[in-house]
Amino acid sequence: MRVVHYLNQFFAGLGGEDQAGTPPTLREEPIGPGRRLQALIGEHEIVATVFCGDDYAAGTPGAAEQILALARSAGAELIVAGPAFTSGRYGLACASVVAAAAREGLPALASMHPENPGIEEAGGAPVIESGATGREMAVSLERLAAATVKLAAGEPLGAAEGRVGKLPRRNVLVSESAAARAVELALARLGGDREATEIPLPSVEHITPAAPIADPGQALIAILTEGGLVPAGNPDRLESARATKWVRYEIAGLDSANAPDFQSVHGGFATTWANEDPNRMLPLDVARELEREGAIGRLHSEYFSTAGNGTPVASAKRFGIEWAAELHKANVAAVVLTAT
Amino acid sequence: MQRIVHDVRSVEFGEQTRFEGGHLCVARSEVTSLCSDPSLATVRASWVSPGESARIVGPLDAVEPRAKGRGSAGGVFPGFVAPALPGGAGATHVLRGSAVVVAGFLPRAQEAVIEMSGEAAALSPLAATHNLVIEFEPAPDAPWEEVEAALRRGALRLAAHLADAALDAEPDAIEELPGLAAPDPGGPPRAALVVNLQTQGAFKDVFVYGRSMAGALPTLIEPGELEDGAVVSGQYGHPGLKNPTYLHQNNPVIAALRARSDVALGALILCPEPVDQATKELVSAHAARLCRACGVDFAIVTKEGGGNADSDMALKMDMIEDLGMPAVGLFAEMSGPDGTGAPLVAPPARATAMVSTGNYDERIALERVERALGRERIALADADATAALELPTAVIYAALSPLGWGRLTCRELGQCA
Repeated sequence: MRVVHYLNQFFAGLGGEDQAGTPPTLREEPIGPGRRLQALIGEHEIVATVFCGDDYAAGTPGAAEQILALARSAGAELIVAGPAFTSGRYGLACASVVAAAAREGLPALASMHPENPGIEEAGGAPVIESGATGREMAVSLERLAAATVKLAAGEPLGAAEGRVGKLPRRNVLVSESAAARAVELALARLGGDREATEIPLPSVEHITPAAPIADPGQALIAILTEGGLVPAGNPDRLESARATKWVRYEIAGLDSANAPDFQSVHGGFATTWANEDPNRMLPLDVARELEREGAIGRLHSEYFSTAGNGTPVASAKRFGIEWAAELHKANVAAVVLTAT
Repeated sequence: MQRIVHDVRSVEFGEQTRFEGGHLCVARSEVTSLCSDPSLATVRASWVSPGESARIVGPLDAVEPRAKGRGSAGGVFPGFVAPALPGGAGATHVLRGSAVVVAGFLPRAQEAVIEMSGEAAALSPLAATHNLVIEFEPAPDAPWEEVEAALRRGALRLAAHLADAALDAEPDAIEELPGLAAPDPGGPPRAALVVNLQTQGAFKDVFVYGRSMAGALPTLIEPGELEDGAVVSGQYGHPGLKNPTYLHQNNPVIAALRARSDVALGALILCPEPVDQATKELVSAHAARLCRACGVDFAIVTKEGGGNADSDMALKMDMIEDLGMPAVGLFAEMSGPDGTGAPLVAPPARATAMVSTGNYDERIALERVERALGRERIALADADATAALELPTAVIYAALSPLGWGRLTCRELGQCA
């Protein structure tokens, strides 16, 4: 297989912090730890190395996609990133690159220490355990090489291969029905087993609400909705359930969200009343009144929408992060987010 | 109660509806007249059987043919077919291995498929039955609510009529079904089964004795009442997490309890799934109180639908545990296509015993089929109804059955299956 290896500026031999702003660069050969890796993966060929400065990778939106595009330009069939050890920005870059590759169905794996904060960002791509520092390069590369060979053969990577971080949960058919297993689990509980469960309890993140804004009369306010409200005809084809995206539309100069110019495509509630008067979903009419009265400073020039119906927490979290970044950039001070 | 079982081994259409030696023959004219309604312009019946290269697209409800035995009081589908009075006693005939399946478009009905063969066939209870598929065209200008009500009445009447044909046939099995077990200090532990029914308005509603469960408080019934069709589905959202009437008639948790001698069913409690938090809390508190009043040793809680319904599960499980009874809940995981996201939207805080019915976001590949019934296209994949497809497991009808029918679960890579 044609393998492309990702490194940061330090392991590519460019230098330290002074070179951390280096943009993604392609070199058609293995470099640094890549040379040892090449020796270990035998028949597979490292056709290129892409390297990038840690600051550039961590601070540039779309950096992972740029890196992936360079790797693809070299004909990558598999991507290996790291080892990043405990280096936070490098780990984040490795994780983002392999996550982007996995989303596109390109086999990819990263190597880092289990305590590297970047590990959370690897998405569906495997992360193989490395040592804590570069002193453990040799053993880390051996483990990474073995996992690379397995991945290239299409085999799944699990704990036996040194996989760390979030292990994907995959569907399997078992011999007993869920109902029979529920009875079994209940009897285990009754017998005093407090730990038995098929689903590990997810940790629920608690968000501390922001402090009230001091002077709403001076503030830029946005209105957002998860009620699937879109312009009539749903031009961007927002999904009615399990939405994979959110959409944004201009409302500058618009006084009211009137029927039939807007519609809700949300699949989880009866949309009759929202469609009869879309202001019920997106309170544009009232927001304009408040704007005219001076109760709020100004209404943001666009609204964001998605359909919160059967949405995995991971998607909802991504939408939230993206919305927050967009709103922050536009100096929005507060939002009204309507829910269904 | 006695369940008189007739195995359906082959099916066809003919001049007259009859059942003989495992062979079910259905008259199309009788289907048409039983389903006829001013809100339906046309009704068409087709058979589709297990193992066929066929797909049912847009399955709505599925009903098992059942009829009350001669001389037994009451009737099936009380509130729709029989008078709305508590039944569940005497003898009930069952055409096992067959179902009436309505398929087509209704508002709010999310896209669903039943694969009659291939890998996905193992995921749906209706892939293992001979299905009398009812397709329809609504009458011009008929309100959709009336179309839906007509389809429901038609399917239930038809199911009762088909089983009537077996009343004098020699059964394959006669099963004695126990009622609720009374408290017994020397007996096995007693379970409560708490069944949450989705109640989110038209097209997402479930009926008990012909009445919507919306707005009701938890109700105690006998398992025989479920057998006789006291609970009928009018809920067409969340196909993978759907509880068709067929599965209420054949409740998997009750079947699992009956299969063992070291445990008994002490309470069967039906609850609505309200849409606001205060009512969710009220209903959960009443459900927990009923469990305690029945003196059960533990509870199993089931749901219908997605994340909203998870919060009903979490509240009930926590409140039941707070009253000193262990609670187990059946949940589908929603951890994204790659299975790495948080599996639950609203997990319980104190009750942590959960059974996984699988990840509903994981994709599954379906092969091309020779024949599709119900709808001509699959909008979600923008494909012809017979095409080879990749779809989320959530689209496979009852694949993640929150009533516990299925054998799917989730395992982390590297864990043994």
